[in-house]
Amino acid sequence: MRLLGRAGGAALSLLMVAVLGFFLFRVVPGDPVVSMTRGRPTTPETQAALRAQFGLDLPLHEQFFRYFTSLLRGDLGTSFTFRRPVAEVVLERLGPTLLLVGTSTVIAVALGLWLGVLAAWRRGSAFDRVTTGVSLTLWAVPTFWLGMLLMMVTGDFFPSRGMRDTDTAPDFLSQALDVGHHLVLPSITLVAVVCAEYALVMRSSLLEELHAPYLTTARAKGLRDDLVRRRHAVPNAVLPAITLVFLRFGLVVSGAITTETVFSWPGLGLLFYDALTGPDYFLLQGLLVVTAGAVVVMNLLADVLHGVLDPRVKVV
Amino acid sequence: MLELRNLTVHYGQKRVVDDVDLALAPGRTLGLAGESGSGKSTVAMSVLRLLPRTARVDGQVLLDGEDVRTMSWGRLRAVRWASASVVFQGAMHALNPVRRVGEQIAEPMRLHGTPGSVAELLEQVELPRHKARAYPHELSGGQKQRVMIAMALACGPRLVIADEPTTALDVVVQAQVLALMTRLVAERDLALLMISHDLSVLAQTCEDLAVMQHGRLVERGRTREVVANPRHPHTAALTAAFPVIGDRRHRWAEPRPAPEPLLRVRDLVVDYGRTRAVDGVDLTVGHGEVVALVGQSGSGKTTLARTIMGLRRPSSGRVIFDGAEVPRGGRALKAFRRQVQLVLQDPSSALNPRHTVFEAVAEGLRVHGLREDEEALVTAAVERAELRPASLYLRSLPHELSGGQQQRVVIAGALVLRPRLLVADEPVASLDASVRGEVVALLLRLRRELGLASLLITHDLGLAWQIADRVAVMHQGNIVEQGPAEEVLLTPAHDYTRALLAAVPVLGPPATG
Amino acid sequence: MSSKFLTHRTGVAGAAVLAVAAVVAVVAPLLIDPGSLDVTRVTAAAWQAPDARHWLGTDHTGRSVALLLAQGAGTSLFVGLTAAVLAVGIGTAVGVVSGHFGGLPAGVLLRVTDFFLVLPALVLAIALSTVLPRGLGTIILAIGLTSWPSTARMVRAQTLTIEARPFVERARALGGGHAHVIARHVLPSVVPLVLVNATLAVASAIVAESTLAFLGLGDPARISWGAMLHQAQLHGAVPQGAWWFLLPPGLAIVAVVLAFTLVGRALEAVVTPKR
Repeated sequence: MRLLGRAGGAALSLLMVAVLGFFLFRVVPGDPVVSMTRGRPTTPETQAALRAQFGLDLPLHEQFFRYFTSLLRGDLGTSFTFRRPVAEVVLERLGPTLLLVGTSTVIAVALGLWLGVLAAWRRGSAFDRVTTGVSLTLWAVPTFWLGMLLMMVTGDFFPSRGMRDTDTAPDFLSQALDVGHHLVLPSITLVAVVCAEYALVMRSSLLEELHAPYLTTARAKGLRDDLVRRRHAVPNAVLPAITLVFLRFGLVVSGAITTETVFSWPGLGLLFYDALTGPDYFLLQGLLVVTAGAVVVMNLLADVLHGVLDPRVKVV
Repeated sequence: MLELRNLTVHYGQKRVVDDVDLALAPGRTLGLAGESGSGKSTVAMSVLRLLPRTARVDGQVLLDGEDVRTMSWGRLRAVRWASASVVFQGAMHALNPVRRVGEQIAEPMRLHGTPGSVAELLEQVELPRHKARAYPHELSGGQKQRVMIAMALACGPRLVIADEPTTALDVVVQAQVLALMTRLVAERDLALLMISHDLSVLAQTCEDLAVMQHGRLVERGRTREVVANPRHPHTAALTAAFPVIGDRRHRWAEPRPAPEPLLRVRDLVVDYGRTRAVDGVDLTVGHGEVVALVGQSGSGKTTLARTIMGLRRPSSGRVIFDGAEVPRGGRALKAFRRQVQLVLQDPSSALNPRHTVFEAVAEGLRVHGLREDEEALVTAAVERAELRPASLYLRSLPHELSGGQQQRVVIAGALVLRPRLLVADEPVASLDASVRGEVVALLLRLRRELGLASLLITHDLGLAWQIADRVAVMHQGNIVEQGPAEEVLLTPAHDYTRALLAAVPVLGPPATG
Repeated sequence: MSSKFLTHRTGVAGAAVLAVAAVVAVVAPLLIDPGSLDVTRVTAAAWQAPDARHWLGTDHTGRSVALLLAQGAGTSLFVGLTAAVLAVGIGTAVGVVSGHFGGLPAGVLLRVTDFFLVLPALVLAIALSTVLPRGLGTIILAIGLTSWPSTARMVRAQTLTIEARPFVERARALGGGHAHVIARHVLPSVVPLVLVNATLAVASAIVAESTLAFLGLGDPARISWGAMLHQAQLHGAVPQGAWWFLLPPGLAIVAVVLAFTLVGRALEAVVTPKR
């Protein structure tokens, strides 16, 4: 029942994403074709032709109908700058982003939660103060600046542009090592910012639990301090923290955009940057729908996971 | 078995336990009574050194002759639960919400290497074996407390400390849990240290009784003697707060002829979603009459009261006040609310912590746009509620007042609108025993002097005996019995009323021992 | 309350940093000669390392980084503050309304709040500032319109907590209507939390502004810390090793954002009662 409700909610959210994507780029002052061709020599005839090509000469409701039916077929329209279907361009760039975001998220979650637990358990200690201080500072650091700084500090030690060198041997191992080498700086950047947030979330979540009466029960039973923590406090505190981690997945997405821009990592984030500098509205619209949709789906997954992990939530 | 010598506990500068000496021999049962803040729970927690680090403990806590205060951590961990275990207050929060109760019972057994089985323990506390696989939220309050007891017995300790084990439980469930504990203590020859604010609960379970006030031990002795002849005035105040049903001295309501009806409820039905909370209720409150609506939690009595006040919409049926149907909305409903006022259970939460006494009492006047003579009306209402002189209290914030004073402010806030009916939802349940009597007397005096009628919602049959003219007993959304208080409480006609009366703990010798 | 705040040393330090930043933001435009920031009129060489004349060196056009930094403070703080006020204003209104009133409208509001809460705010802000004409107003709108949901969520939770308290039931029983309950009970208890939230919102708004400006979506006519970093990236400050053009604006952002965060946390500790 609950799961069905959540799935329904997610479906509704996806619908809202689609609607938002459409109207954001249609109901704006000015002609999209004029702004997209800004700075290029165009005649009224070519502009009219472009309008007809993108269907912008149709009434709004017909535009929406065409947009929505193509969306259901997986067609995100045609990119103005690439002159190719948006879906194709997006799919091409998906791999590098998944690699970067996946690696960073796994490291950030593990490291962040671990630091948060230790900091909360030793509340007020030097370890806690350093962890919290560093986390707060990292939270205040703009991701892109951290990236630029890392680049400058490490110099030529790590490659700072792209995902692989052109002269790498074609065998799998050399290629993989090369990609890994390129991955170091971008993922450190992303991990640092995201991990700080997760550590703070985990810390405050565990602090909430520290006064819970069931911990006194556990101590009264004669459990060692670290068993009280591992068996009783953490399992309770980790549940809300995990939900929050997923809720803030948008943070990772935002971080990925600037990180990829700084390091020219050939993923969706860099594509985003290309689209907004164009500006290429159709590409931007497609990217918005894809990332927002991905976040909605991630949240649904978080809900399902929470239902599986927390016995208090009825899954059926 | 357990001996406390000159036990003194400080939190910072504050002395919460002051020079307490207590001894408990093996197999004996000792009750420790006191109001909130008397230090009784601190004493209990000091036995297993479970106080927060900010607490400073002086004196000696001897468990089997060994001082708990000076034990090494390893030794302390070995002693915990194996020598003495605890049944905590409010099992709701004392059990880990995300682990199965079976695992939680088994945990200390594994830790201390005690043989035994969870299933056997569950049987002993009269729970089916399959409940071991349940999570705490799947159990009722009484079942959780049974789990807590099973857990306390897991390592076969010789001393069990029970800290308010039945608070927040219903009377009927409380009686069952107390009976269970009494049986297990006798069967296993356990020593029991039971802490409670409720003297009648202790009187039923413990052979000896100790009374604490402001961190000091003011009286101790055999329960029977202490209850019958309290030597300390505080003990006397505590015993007086538990009226004995049937005892004429505890019946303060004077007999009066049946009055004209003020409020009539006809065939009222209220649904909460799919559940029917109130199922066809008929009830009458006369002019100046005190009617007690009694029942267990979940019987629908609170919903009934909210519906009478127009705070909930009935599904069907009628509420007639002073000859006219209670309006469902708009100006007419607002005018009706001047006539009927609400007094809630917990005065500390019924007052906005940011509002002064003056603002809290004047709130009703302001809502109804009665700006004239505000100062005089508020002062008069506050003094009626026996906060004299009013000028001393008007500028105070709620947290600066005691519980009894807060409840008087709530009552003053109701009186200021000159209502004709007071709906009081457990008006004394959260008050300390010693101020309870004063607030009860105040309610009676308001009836006598202002002709104020009251609908008293309570689970406390003793309170009904004290002041109600008539009693209505509610069970599963129905009123199963109603009539004059003496009749209903002394010669109950319905089985449910008899069950309720049987569950009421009385100040008397313990059932066993 | 003020004396309690003073016991939080980090909060006081944050407040001091903010005071300095505010003074710089107000005074800089009055003291700096516009000519010294005009690309066509500067005389110094480009990419000069710090020396006695240019404390923080010069940028790719020969302008003094120190002057740019002082001039940029105003934009960054102004955008941060106004966007935060906008976001917190919307969030408070939505939160109180959806918490106080039940039924369908509240349900719809909650649904919308949750929807925007999970969407990546930066992505939306980028989209908004791409389609709207470049300018300060667009940046403020883009940040304000995308960062209200967390405030709304928190205000709603607090409203629900207050509404469940017996004193609100008592107010209703006294005859108090929606306006009375909201004005006398809900709002006074929400205000301290909203203040805390606003302080933290300024912090994230400043980061958001710098990010948008870095991506080239800022107001091209104005200098801000983010815009300086945009120039640094565009003109290759990193390969040039021009640390003096990279470090100051970034450190300024970190200092101000951290200061707002610390003040916010100290305020939070003051207004939330200890258990």
